[in-house]
Amino acid sequence: MRNLILFIRRYFNLLLFITIELVCLNQVFTQNPFQQTVFLQFSEEWMGNLYQRYHRIMSYFHLKEVNDSLLAENARLRNALRNNFTRPDTSQIVVRDTAQHRQYLYLPAEVVNNSIIHASNYFTIHRGRLEGVEPHMGVISPNGVAGVVVQVSNHYALVMSLLHKESRISVRLKRTGDIGYVYWDGHNSYTAILADIPRSVNLYRNDTVVTSGFSIMFPPGLPVGFVEKIAHQPASNFQIARIRLATNFSRLRYVYVIKNFDAAEQTQIESNIPKP
Amino acid sequence: MSELLKNIVRFVLLMFVQLFILNNIMLNGFVQPYLYMLFILLLPFQTPRWFLLILGAATGWVMDNFMHTPGLHAAACTVVAYLRPFLIGVLSPQGGFEDLHRSPSPATMGFGKFFFYAGMLVLIHHLVYFSLEILSFQDLAYLATKILVSTLVTLLLIFVYGLLFFEWKAVRR
Repeated sequence: MRNLILFIRRYFNLLLFITIELVCLNQVFTQNPFQQTVFLQFSEEWMGNLYQRYHRIMSYFHLKEVNDSLLAENARLRNALRNNFTRPDTSQIVVRDTAQHRQYLYLPAEVVNNSIIHASNYFTIHRGRLEGVEPHMGVISPNGVAGVVVQVSNHYALVMSLLHKESRISVRLKRTGDIGYVYWDGHNSYTAILADIPRSVNLYRNDTVVTSGFSIMFPPGLPVGFVEKIAHQPASNFQIARIRLATNFSRLRYVYVIKNFDAAEQTQIESNIPKP
Repeated sequence: MSELLKNIVRFVLLMFVQLFILNNIMLNGFVQPYLYMLFILLLPFQTPRWFLLILGAATGWVMDNFMHTPGLHAAACTVVAYLRPFLIGVLSPQGGFEDLHRSPSPATMGFGKFFFYAGMLVLIHHLVYFSLEILSFQDLAYLATKILVSTLVTLLLIFVYGLLFFEWKAVRR
């Protein structure tokens, strides 16, 4: 205690100076708006810096928990991986088999825009010219035929849906092999019309309709739909039927674009058919 | 006139001059002389240091109240009041200034010493004041120029004040 008093007596002037100065500076930084602002900015910056350093050090002590949470997050993200890809799909697997000639290659793609309610429906896929998509390529869903590519940009392609008033698909009855074609009458999104089946053919309900393979777009044998209701046309040699489409267009999510390696050759040779 | 009365009159006079004349003269907003702190410089040699501090703070405080700058002048003046005895100690000859009852002036200290003393303290005052006022060291050149030019103008004013009031030759009592 005595020492303390001695200390205060000895440094009285200094202590008084410091006290007065502190009072003054306190006034400066609390009562002048400008100085207060500057002081707050300054202290914010430095305290922020300090806190940041503190947290950088303290973060080491939480590494275990952070690791655990990251692991959980990683697992979650890994499970959701397909959904998180926004890049156009570039994967393609080509089996090199010199004994056989490969004609078709399936390129997976994600549907990023879709419509089913118009008379002319299109959907957009996230895969474009740079990923190997060209116009006039067929597009199928996992269940069946979906449409035909009409336009491509670098990373996107516009696909004319089967639900389009001008789509025509050459088909064949799987059971008998008779050919016909399928078009969409705009009635609803899950049925279409099968036409040009000869009258001699007995159609049954649930007969499978598959692609014929005549066009350059689709390989033969892909499901298109199933016969739902047969309509006899008394005045015609052909019969038509309403078919239930194999593809559920309202749930279209992932599709495959079909690349036909022989398309150019087939188109070229068919261009020799004399026009009537 | 007693020393006390002299100082009171000087205080009032300097405050008056500062508030009503000098504060209205701001050359370009750049030169801001603060002559009032001459009061602290001219307090008698033997003023106790604690009293100096209190007088300094009070001077600044009065100034702050008039100029609406809480704490700024008080802080600067307190620094000046604190450093004043050290500077006098450095400048004083072997046995101290001969007449301790009197205050610093060209007569008691010598012309060169007095203006060195005044110059240093004015510079410190302005340094503290303008640093606190501008509170930004981004433009150091501007701050330094402002401090230096204001210091020079204040010194000039002190010289003018001296022509009017100082005793230039030591008067034997």
